[in-house]
Amino acid sequence: MKVEATEVDGRKVFAVRAFSKGVASWLSRLPTVWVEGEVTELRRQARWASVFFTLKDPDDDASLSVQMQRTRFDALELELTDGERVHVFGRPELYEQRGELRLRALTIERYGLGAHLAALERLKRTLAAEGLFDAARKRPLPRFPRLIGLVTGNDAAAKRDVLTHVVQRFPPANVLVAETYVQGPRAPDAIVAAIGELCRRGVDVLVLARGGGSFEDLLPFSDERVVRAIAACAVPVVSAVGHEQDTPLCDLAADVRASTPTAAARLLVPDAAELRAALGRSRAALHRGAAVAAERHAQRLAHSRERLHRAPLLTLERRRSRLDTVQARLAALAPQATLERGYAIVRRGDRVVRSPADVMRGEQIDVLVAEGTFGATVE
Amino acid sequence: MSDPSFEEAQRELDAIVERLERGDADVDELTKLWERGEELYRLCVGKLDTVRGRIEELSRTSES
Repeated sequence: MKVEATEVDGRKVFAVRAFSKGVASWLSRLPTVWVEGEVTELRRQARWASVFFTLKDPDDDASLSVQMQRTRFDALELELTDGERVHVFGRPELYEQRGELRLRALTIERYGLGAHLAALERLKRTLAAEGLFDAARKRPLPRFPRLIGLVTGNDAAAKRDVLTHVVQRFPPANVLVAETYVQGPRAPDAIVAAIGELCRRGVDVLVLARGGGSFEDLLPFSDERVVRAIAACAVPVVSAVGHEQDTPLCDLAADVRASTPTAAARLLVPDAAELRAALGRSRAALHRGAAVAAERHAQRLAHSRERLHRAPLLTLERRRSRLDTVQARLAALAPQATLERGYAIVRRGDRVVRSPADVMRGEQIDVLVAEGTFGATVE
Repeated sequence: MSDPSFEEAQRELDAIVERLERGDADVDELTKLWERGEELYRLCVGKLDTVRGRIEELSRTSES
């Protein structure tokens, strides 16, 4: 293509438009290419023929303007939002009016699922090697939480579900809710900030709740910052993110994973009805126990009293039998017993004869034997 | 002298019973020991009945 130039003082000079046209023409001969980056500043209006956005390197300031036909963009039905990583297929062109380079997009693809998965897998391995997911790190949840921290989206059904089920199970529960972004590029930092804020406010257990979503929607919950914040959290964390089949990395770092908001509520608070029933059982046992203890004391007392009543009589009987023995011995010493053995007592008048000198021949004496007395004459 | 506790009274009662059962108590003392034992028994039973009454009352009121 021929570009018009004029001669001025022997030099070839281009008008701006002509220059741009020339560069544009040269650029248009470059081949189409794939460019990867994050979508930012997406501008789309129904009355515009084109959609505009800026493509950026995630870890770099390098950026590139992208333009795409609105009808073509809409046909892709990507529903792109800021911060999403994409592959843009197109060719460089010059916006001649402003002399600006931009990429004219022919098609856009979301950053491949495979690539995301590979990146996640790498991160998972790194964090696992650091021990962030170790079973030994898991802490038990408080049995009766004083204050539950709930991190969730501002209009999330997940929020309502968790709250409803927690209060249903345990009406006196206190829940502090931190509403935050739960998807998109701002979500990771916002979630980390919410976790920190709730911990400062004194919660003693934390729950992250988010309903199901696409793989990309759930990516913030696999973000390294979020996963590390959960692992470092001062209080136990319950992860209730996505559906059963989703396993964002936050599930692995959390102390417990709940597959549904109902399950989360079950983990967070005790069932008040069950608790009341258990208390009732404890009370019944208490009454029974007290009655049994009192009964045992009463029996012991009754037994003591029985012994008390028996003991003095036993003592008296024993004493009595000892007295009988003594009496028996005493009796053995009595004269009658001696007489029984065949001895006799000889008296002269009322004096006992102890010596032959005590009597004279012909004197009357009395002889006392066991069964009576008879008289005799001394020879 | 203030009332002994249930435990104290029961301990004393048991000691008296054991002493009596050993049979070496002085005869003049028997009546005294027996009366003291009876007194301790009534004290314990009184305390126990109070407690049992209270337990039954609590059980009744808690059933409503």
